[in-house]
Formats: sequence, structure tokens, C-alpha cells
Amino acid sequence: MRAGRSIGILSAGILLAACSAPQGPYPAREIKLIVQAAPGGTSDTVSRVMASLAESRLGVPIVCENRPGASGALAFSFVARRSPDGYTIGHAPVEIAIVRSLGYADVGPSDVSLICLVSKTAPALVVNADARWATFEDFITEAKGGSGAVVMANSGIGSIWHFNILLMEQGTRARFTHLPYGGSTPALVSVIGGHSDGAVAGVGEVVSHVQSGTLRALAVFDAERSSVLPDVPTTHELGYPIGTPAWSGFFGPAGIDEERVSQLADAFEMAFGSPEWAKLCRERGMQPLFLGREDFESFALQQQQFFEEQIPRLVRLGAP
Amino acid sequence: MTAELLAGLAAVLDWQVLAFLAAGVSLGAVFGALPGLTATMGVAVLTPLTFWVSPEQGLAMLLGIYCGAIPAGGIPAILINVPGTPASIATSWDGYALTRKGKAGLALGINALASAAGQLTSIAFLAFLAFPIASFALRFGPAEYFGLALLGISLMAGVSGDRVLQGMLAGSLGLALALVGLDPMTAYPRYTFGLSEFLDGISFVPVMIGLFGLGEVLSQVSDRRARARATKIEIGRVVPKARDARSLVGSALSGAGVGTMVGAIPAAGGDIGSVIAWEQARRTAKDKGQFGKGSLRGLAASCSACNAAIGGAMTTMLTLGIPGDAVSAILIGALLIHGIQPGPLLFANNQAFVFSIVFLLVFACLMIMVVGLLGARPLAKVLSVPPPLLWAGIIVFGTVGSYALNNAVADVWAMYAAGLLGFVFRRARIPLGPLVLGLILGPMMESNLRRALILSGGDWLALVARPIVAVFLAAAVLSIAWPWIRSRRSASRSNLGPPSSA
Repeated sequence: MRAGRSIGILSAGILLAACSAPQGPYPAREIKLIVQAAPGGTSDTVSRVMASLAESRLGVPIVCENRPGASGALAFSFVARRSPDGYTIGHAPVEIAIVRSLGYADVGPSDVSLICLVSKTAPALVVNADARWATFEDFITEAKGGSGAVVMANSGIGSIWHFNILLMEQGTRARFTHLPYGGSTPALVSVIGGHSDGAVAGVGEVVSHVQSGTLRALAVFDAERSSVLPDVPTTHELGYPIGTPAWSGFFGPAGIDEERVSQLADAFEMAFGSPEWAKLCRERGMQPLFLGREDFESFALQQQQFFEEQIPRLVRLGAP
Repeated sequence: MTAELLAGLAAVLDWQVLAFLAAGVSLGAVFGALPGLTATMGVAVLTPLTFWVSPEQGLAMLLGIYCGAIPAGGIPAILINVPGTPASIATSWDGYALTRKGKAGLALGINALASAAGQLTSIAFLAFLAFPIASFALRFGPAEYFGLALLGISLMAGVSGDRVLQGMLAGSLGLALALVGLDPMTAYPRYTFGLSEFLDGISFVPVMIGLFGLGEVLSQVSDRRARARATKIEIGRVVPKARDARSLVGSALSGAGVGTMVGAIPAAGGDIGSVIAWEQARRTAKDKGQFGKGSLRGLAASCSACNAAIGGAMTTMLTLGIPGDAVSAILIGALLIHGIQPGPLLFANNQAFVFSIVFLLVFACLMIMVVGLLGARPLAKVLSVPPPLLWAGIIVFGTVGSYALNNAVADVWAMYAAGLLGFVFRRARIPLGPLVLGLILGPMMESNLRRALILSGGDWLALVARPIVAVFLAAAVLSIAWPWIRSRRSASRSNLGPPSSA
């Protein structure tokens, strides 16, 4: 009886010690990387390729797990609630700075440990290749009439590309009729089929259609020209400094030991420098961009503040 | 042209490529046969593995999974009434009825043969009519999608058998459940009770597993007579008699036509195509009463259509660079990794590659047909498993499959809730088909009607003025009114005699 109790206390003590020890070698077992989107998309590919490249540096497997839903809010909250031991991390797209403003979940960059940023994707305005608009100016001049005769397909109310259309309206005084779809692909198909006039989507999502001659890109919403669409002018060149990009980074629950965050960031930085990553970025039209922990933190918090100010002003959920 | 054709064939007739194809087909068969694991998931999970092999090898593996999963999805639908993938819902209607009649072998045989027939027909369409089909698919705007969805929903009456009123009740419930989640136009959360898990709506696959799988288990457990029936195992012949086979060719071919067209339309796939094909076969059949009770023609039409959707989806993907369904969306990503860009330029610049895809599809299709025919007997042995073990197995696989879909516990609860609902419906003899139709087609109908009205400025007549929409709407009205018209006609004939006698 007594012996049993002391064994119990002893084993409880060992367990406690094991749980509360941030020291000791890290990583000692596999790391789980939660992806906020379904398998097959850009977020999933970025996470899986990055994970397989960073594994060799860390010496343990990084296993991706998809938890799609609610613009990523389910995955962000799931990761934020895990123990901050560095063994559960998540993919952090721009939506992590948006979901709270949309009311999907109470989580944002300020509530998590940010690790690093690995890429950025600028938005692009596209029209049908046979459309009557040759330039960005042509397009917004017609949309300035205010009749709402120009129809813009978007990838869903509150999505990053829809938000860019709203920024375009604000910055150019154009007025569109908005046609919401459940993602970029159906929105682009709607423009290719001639059912709507234009759409805004990531450079990587439009580039194949532009190259095969079904869509025409009128502008890239960025300060610098895109390497995959070098002939397309930027909005900044044209005198409209509008647009906010999508991005990809990694995060973990708040309170991960700083040493462990640096180890993870170093592993991802090494992966970032590989030819495989450069190739994936080229093919998906992403701009490789590495921001370490501190830079990513200030960037993501800035983004969070930007969306918290702009979304209530521009996006009216539930409005027809 | 001939040179490209031969080059495409040569690229495929390589033992390594064929080995990858066979591996893909077998993996796909496993993904398809296990409820909750879908073709989409199989292709997505294995796509990163193909980065390190040649484009032909990688594509062989992925296409193999795609072609293997869809026919294999029909196997659990036939044997245990649980569709392996959403595409095989219609397969379960006649397939499971045949199993209960002791003709499981024949049902599996027809599944293998009709699946192959459907897919080969759709590949022929892809090879010879790719561009006309693609331009038809592109003409589908919001109004056309609305018309297609409405036509699908009008089939609720047809799939209800002789319980039309109860079927409509179930269908309305399906449409109501489809409203849960973010409003597709304004992103306002509807009926979510403040839970983020509901924002994307109710996941369809767990509901399907629950309604058909768990619901069937509960109903068998509680029904002594069914238990007695379930112990009677017969497999019967696998390959249909020549006379039967001949009578099935027509339904398989018309099913293939419907499946190819629906598959080519982006965002509409084998699940919708096979239901439309089944109803089309039923309406043109003399023995309408047999449909849903073990009709060979109904089974052939639905199996053929859900596999023909593969060729349709590939057509849109290869000619336009637009995904025809969820699997081809992932295939586009995989092709881009290999530096191959699907779209009109692919046909112009790299015809040999297009032909090699065509040959890969043909070989994959023949492989899964052989597997399906040879495997019918061993697979049907699952019926000789003692029912309690089988029930436990279905519950375990259903639970794991529901969770695996999105790694979400909420989906498991949805599966259990749907299981109870399925049980109650079976007990009350309310047909399940209409509920599923409502749940699949509700979001498509609602969002596209609202998009169409945004485009027409609120003008409802503008919808009907489009030719494709008008055809769909006319077919929908006819499918609801036809039973009534027919009964009126036969009544007037028997009462008044032939009109010429007057």
C-alpha cells in the first residue's frame, strides 16, 4: 500500500519533470505541421515542400496534417491551443491576420509565436483575352461611370483577393458589380467563359491562363514587377499605390521557447535557400521572401492592424 | 498526327511507367473502397511523391489512383450499402438491392464492366471531340449551373420510388441542411450557432457515410428479419449472361454520354452525373418499377456515368487548363510542378503528351476492370463475415474515415448524427436519395441562382431566355409532370377508347 503510493508519487514526479522540461535536446521527436487548407492547394504544397526540406536540418520528420475550414480559422485556433513545446506548428497565410476581423475565430498574429515568412504573392487584375480593355486605365475608366456595369468575379466575400478589389474601388473610384465565387478557380473560369468581366487573383493563379492566351493581365498590384509576368505594369507605376499581397509563413502556439523558435526558423531558412524552393516559387508565381522571427513579427502585426482597421470599413458581411 | 500518337504510346509502353500505373490503380482501389478516403485525397496525398520521378511516371501513378478509386467506390456501395466515394451513391441503389437478392457477384461484375465501358467511351470523346466539349462546358455560366442543379433536384421524385411525398420531405430536409454555413454571396454565417466548425457548412462525405453506413447498421441490428436475411450468402455468377449484357449496352452508353458532359462542366462531377444517368435510364425503361430494387440497367447506367465523368473532367482540364472536378484541380498542380501547363497550348505544342495521357487512361481503365472482375468473388466474401463483425467494421471505418477527411472531430459527430437520421428514415420508410440530392445540389442551386440574378439585374425572365437553361428547366418540369401526364393519358385511353373511334 505504502510502497504503491510512493511509486505513484515517484512516477508522477517523473512525469511532471518530463512535462515541464523545456531543456534537453530539441527536437527529440516528430514535429506536426498543421495546414489550414485542403490537400493539393498552394498552402499545402508550400507546407509539404518546406517540411520535407527542413526535416534534414532538424533531424526529425515534419508531418503535415490538413485541417481545412473557415478560411483557416479552425487550424489557427487549433495550433494556438496546443502546448507551446515546439512539436506542433502551423502554416501561417495572410488569413491569420484576417479571420478575427471577419469574426470567424478570436485568433491573430498577436496571439501566437511567429517563426518566419517564406513567400509573398501579389494580386493581379485579369480580363478575358478577347475583352475590349487593353490597359488598366481603360478598365477603370469604364467602371468609373458608377452604373456598376462592369462585373468583377471574386474568390469569396472577405477573401484576400476580394479585399483587393475593394481597395481598387477605393483607390481608383471605380465601382463594380461584385460576383462572389467559392474560390479563385471558379472566379477565373467565370472570366474565361465570358460570364464576368474581370477578376483579381494571385499572380501564380493567373499566370498559366495568361500564357495560354485565355486571360489578359492588366495590372499587378505591387510596387515591383512580377518575375513571372514581367510585361504587366504594376499599379504603383500607373499611379495607384493599391494592393495587399497574400503570403506564407509558419507559426506556433504562444510561448514557445525562443531557442526552439530560432532552431525552427534556421531550418526553414536553410530550406528557403534550396533550389527546390526556388523552383516551386517560380512555378507557382510566388515571390520568395524570407523574414526571420523579428521581421516577420513586425510585418504580421502591421498586417493585423491594417486589416482590423480596413475590414470593418470596406467589407460589409451580410450586405447584399 | 500519327507520329504524335505513336510517340505518346511509346512513352507509356515503358515497364516503369506501367509499374507506376499499376501501383496507382491498386492504391486508388484501396482509397476508393474505403468510405471516407476519396480519390481526391489519394491523388492529393501522393502528388508530392511524384516530384522525384519523370512526368510520365508521376502522372501514371496519379491517373491510376483516379481511375482505380472511382470503380472501387462502387464495391462497398454494392456489398454493404456504403458508397466508397460520393460518385457511387446511385450505384448503391440497385447494387445493394442485387446483393440482397443473392446476386452480389453479378452486381460487382456489372460495376467492373460498365465502369470500364463508361470510361472508355469518355476517353474516346476526349480523343476526338475535346474542343467542342470544352467550349460547351465554358458556356456554363451561373444561370446554366442553376438549371442543371434544378434538373438534378427535380429528380427527387424519381429516386423516391413509390414514396414520393416522403421523398419530398427528405429532399426538403437536405436542402435545409445545405443552408448551414457562410452565406455564399454575403459571407454571413447562417445556422452556425456561433461555432466555427459550421462556417463551411455540413461536410457531405461524413453525412453520406452516416446515412448509408451507420444508418444501415443500426437498422439491421434492430431488425430481426433483416438479420436473418443478412446471414444468407450467395455470390452468384460474376460475368452477366450474353443476353443480359446486350440489354445493358444501351444504358451504359447513354450513361457514358451524360457522365462525360456533366464531368466536363467545372464543379459538377460523377456524383451528379450518375444520378442524372440513372434517372434517364429509369425514364426510358419498360420496367421502371425495378429501378432501385435491383435493376441491372440502372446499375449499368450509374456505374458507367460516374466513370465517364473522369474523361469529361480530363477534357476540360487538358483543353482549357480549368479543373473539371476536385481531382483534376490537384492534377493541374502536379503537372505544373513538372513544367507542363494544361491548356490550349498543350494541344498545339505537345500533342504526344496528350496522347500519352489518353493511353494511360485506357490502360488504367483496363487494369481496374480486370482487378474488378477477378476480385469480385474474393471481395464478396466480406458478406460471409458474421454480421456483428461486419457492423463493427463499418462503424470503425466510418468513424476513422469521417475524421480523416478534414482531421475534424466535428465531422465524426456529423457522421453519428446522420447515422441516427438514416436509421429513423429507414424505419419510417422515407427514401434517403432525395436528402442526399438536396445536400449536394442545394448549395449549387442557391449560389448560382443568386449569381445569375446579380448578373441579370434581378430579371428572372432573363434566366429562361438562355437556350441551355431553357432545356434544363423544360426537362425539370417534364420530370415532375410526366408521371401525372402518363396516368392521365392511360386513364383517358381506358375510359374513352381510342380517339379515332369518335
